[in-house]
Amino acid sequence: MNGAHDLGGMDGFGPVDPDPNQPVFHAEWERRVFAMTVASGFLGRWNIDMSRYARESMDPAEYLATSYYEHWLHGLETLLDEQGLVTREELAARKAELSRETP
Amino acid sequence: MPALKAADVEQALRKGGSARVDVDVAPKFKPGQRVAVRNLNPLGHIRAPRYVRGRSGTIDRDHGVFVFPDTHAAGTGKSPQHVYSVRFEASDVWGPGPPGDGAIYIDLWDDYLEPA
Amino acid sequence: MPSGDHGHDHSDVPSDLALRVKALESLLVEKGLVDPAALDVLIDTYETKVGPRNGAKVVARAWSDPAYKMRLLSAGGKAIAELGFKGRQGEDMVVLENTDTTHNMVVCTLCSCYPWPVLGLPPVWYKAAPYRARAVRDPRGVLKDFGVTLPENVEIRVWDSTAELRYLVLPQRPPGTEAMSEENLAALVTRDSMIGTGLAKTPGQGEAT
Repeated sequence: MNGAHDLGGMDGFGPVDPDPNQPVFHAEWERRVFAMTVASGFLGRWNIDMSRYARESMDPAEYLATSYYEHWLHGLETLLDEQGLVTREELAARKAELSRETP
Repeated sequence: MPALKAADVEQALRKGGSARVDVDVAPKFKPGQRVAVRNLNPLGHIRAPRYVRGRSGTIDRDHGVFVFPDTHAAGTGKSPQHVYSVRFEASDVWGPGPPGDGAIYIDLWDDYLEPA
Repeated sequence: MPSGDHGHDHSDVPSDLALRVKALESLLVEKGLVDPAALDVLIDTYETKVGPRNGAKVVARAWSDPAYKMRLLSAGGKAIAELGFKGRQGEDMVVLENTDTTHNMVVCTLCSCYPWPVLGLPPVWYKAAPYRARAVRDPRGVLKDFGVTLPENVEIRVWDSTAELRYLVLPQRPPGTEAMSEENLAALVTRDSMIGTGLAKTPGQGEAT
């Protein structure tokens, strides 16, 4: 698909920030998204091409406005929903629940 | 398959999962041959970047037989076929004017290519 | 927007994201789909164990041992596995040699493909739009962002990792290192020099990052 992920040759993003002191992960949620994505892959319910496609199908404006692990999170949520393993509804309900517990 | 256990993580990572397929499929092209990338715009998954569709290049090397991402992502099979590094002159991709020197090497499957 | 749940303004992103991720993890664990202890091992592996020091050992070996270098350039994966590095996202490795006339640089314009066993997880800039967009179009300009200027007669070859091959650049051995041990040589090999956005350090330039 001709999504926002297909970036080669696009202009206007500005210079590369080559900061050599960046940590591997910038926040705990990034660690969890990385590990959940890799671990869920071992369930054998999808393959790497399906997971790439799930990330690419993100709304283009949102794709460009969000960070790498947000793309992964979107992809994982999409695959889990498609497979009926964790639905969008379950996720929204759990989020609301947790949000009430930790104001 | 059950959830990955902590004790199995190291072994699972070391094993990895190659996309190489051990079947005998004849290559459609050979190193040195001129090829063009087909003008493909599927709604599904594709790994031929937009910037190279319709452009011509030269087969640099044949990497062997791999799973084809377009069908694999759609759940319709592995369609094993050859993957090549194809060399494109920067000026052939971006047109005249700086910084048009150098070359881009892109890994492309048989089904993305046609003779130039 | 498929979920309708996260399309709002992004000013509250950090806490909202943390919550969204916590919700997902709690459901996955509850359903037995992930083992939280396995997540911790995965994180620890790539945060503290696997990183560019692995690749630096490969490069230093190639600089020190011509026979190893030949094996590395002809069958990258096998030669890298000799040093114990292999597996996920490094199953099919190709090593590209930089010379006086050729400079190789690696990108993944479509996502973030990167040789994990030798370099660990990719840095933020490798995954972000500016590098993915411009590496193929203006590699000399990108190199300038990294403080690198190459002579005009050097051909720049940019490798777009669109398939499952994973690329490691073998940087040029710096001058004045003839007498150095493999271990000291490895300290000169930066992560960026193995992606092709940098050069190996010269002795006295400080530790590799």
